[in-house]
Amino acid sequence: MRLFLALVVAAILGTLSASAQTNEPTSEAIVLTGGPALRFMEHGKGDVSHDVYWFNFVDASVIRLNQLKSEAKPGELITWLIYRPAYAARSKEMGLDLLAQLQAKAKQVGANLHWFDSKEDLIAYLNKGFDRDKVKIVNFDYFGHSNKACFLFDYSNTIDTMSIAWLHVKDLRLIDDDIFAHDATCKSWGCHSGEMYSQWWKSHFDVPMTGAVGKTDFAHGGLPQLSNSDGKWTE
Amino acid sequence: MITFTRMPRIAILSGLLLTVGLISNGCLFAEDAPVNDGQYVAPGGGPPPVAPPLKKGSPLDHLANDPKLATPQVGYKEGNTTGATYWVAHRMIDTDGGEGWGWVRKLDDSWNSGKWIALQETLGLAVAPHRKLAKADADLDWEYKFWGHFVKYKAYDPHLDEQLPVFVLEGYEVIGAAQPLTIKFGPQGRIQHRPSGASSRSGSPILSDPGTGVD
Repeated sequence: MRLFLALVVAAILGTLSASAQTNEPTSEAIVLTGGPALRFMEHGKGDVSHDVYWFNFVDASVIRLNQLKSEAKPGELITWLIYRPAYAARSKEMGLDLLAQLQAKAKQVGANLHWFDSKEDLIAYLNKGFDRDKVKIVNFDYFGHSNKACFLFDYSNTIDTMSIAWLHVKDLRLIDDDIFAHDATCKSWGCHSGEMYSQWWKSHFDVPMTGAVGKTDFAHGGLPQLSNSDGKWTE
Repeated sequence: MITFTRMPRIAILSGLLLTVGLISNGCLFAEDAPVNDGQYVAPGGGPPPVAPPLKKGSPLDHLANDPKLATPQVGYKEGNTTGATYWVAHRMIDTDGGEGWGWVRKLDDSWNSGKWIALQETLGLAVAPHRKLAKADADLDWEYKFWGHFVKYKAYDPHLDEQLPVFVLEGYEVIGAAQPLTIKFGPQGRIQHRPSGASSRSGSPILSDPGTGVD
């Protein structure tokens, strides 16, 4: 009897293990979304007042997530990384539960939502979210504030016109240089990334990252566009 | 005493294992938390909605609607100002384009040992004194007593690619106008001429140089 039970348990565990392997992705596409400013911080700044609309980065991210979902190969996981503290703070300011709305959006688009609260959280996920020897990142998009040297996940949300959470070009060395597939597509939709960040990215990961020379505009409601006629996308 | 026949026992065991398996695999996918859609409706590619109405009595409401002063009011207090220990703060405007607030020093120290700070306001308790003024620089060279503390994290100023110590403001009292300080301003790295290696002021290769403005 005990032998029989042991065999049954072993069989069930084997089946579950196979099932788990089936759910393990073979590759991963990542959309990284930074947070909005607080209106308190940006009040009275006129034309340079940022993030009147709280989901400018989110709506653009959702558009891109839907694109990625429709193009995904079998076994490819679509992951949405969102900087949580900024949306929590904006929620408090507005009296709306933006985090719940983000969860609903992730569910609707079928994305694997993963919050991060710090640069360290983000780097840990990129390096160890999956076994990167097996699950390479095949796509990377960034939506958020930026300058030429930084992705700014927090901007004018905790401190007026400054950031307390960022990924500087000098921080790229903290990310394993083999997390990307050799033919991965990467793009920063933020401002100025093409003026410096793209070069450091290529140098570290040996995959190109498209970035903007000049500013980008999230205000029209779709994917961001270059703000100025003399701007361009570059690698 | 409850007894199980052979098959139900296996079925129960299988059920438990399946449950464990589903839970462990579930973390890979979008979270199934309760949804509260609030008032938001996705714009669907159209122009985004405008900012929501101000919450009455909120910090933003006060900022937008309270009357503004030309200069600070001597003796005015805001937030927690009862502690015996406070800092002396001197408002400065960074003419290099940085967003640092100014200097703070311990009561018994000289300005030479002061710190150039990023000011983290505590909304609902104490916000930067210039929020009450008609112009943000109208308190240039004014001095305050600051109650609060430094935190471990730094602030990044994207305009100059610099990091600043962060002072969390919990309360203040207006001392009055003061003579301009003659010490160099900015964080230690700027004062000691240590270029970051990544800003537009460094020698690193930069394809174009429109400044490090943020959007």
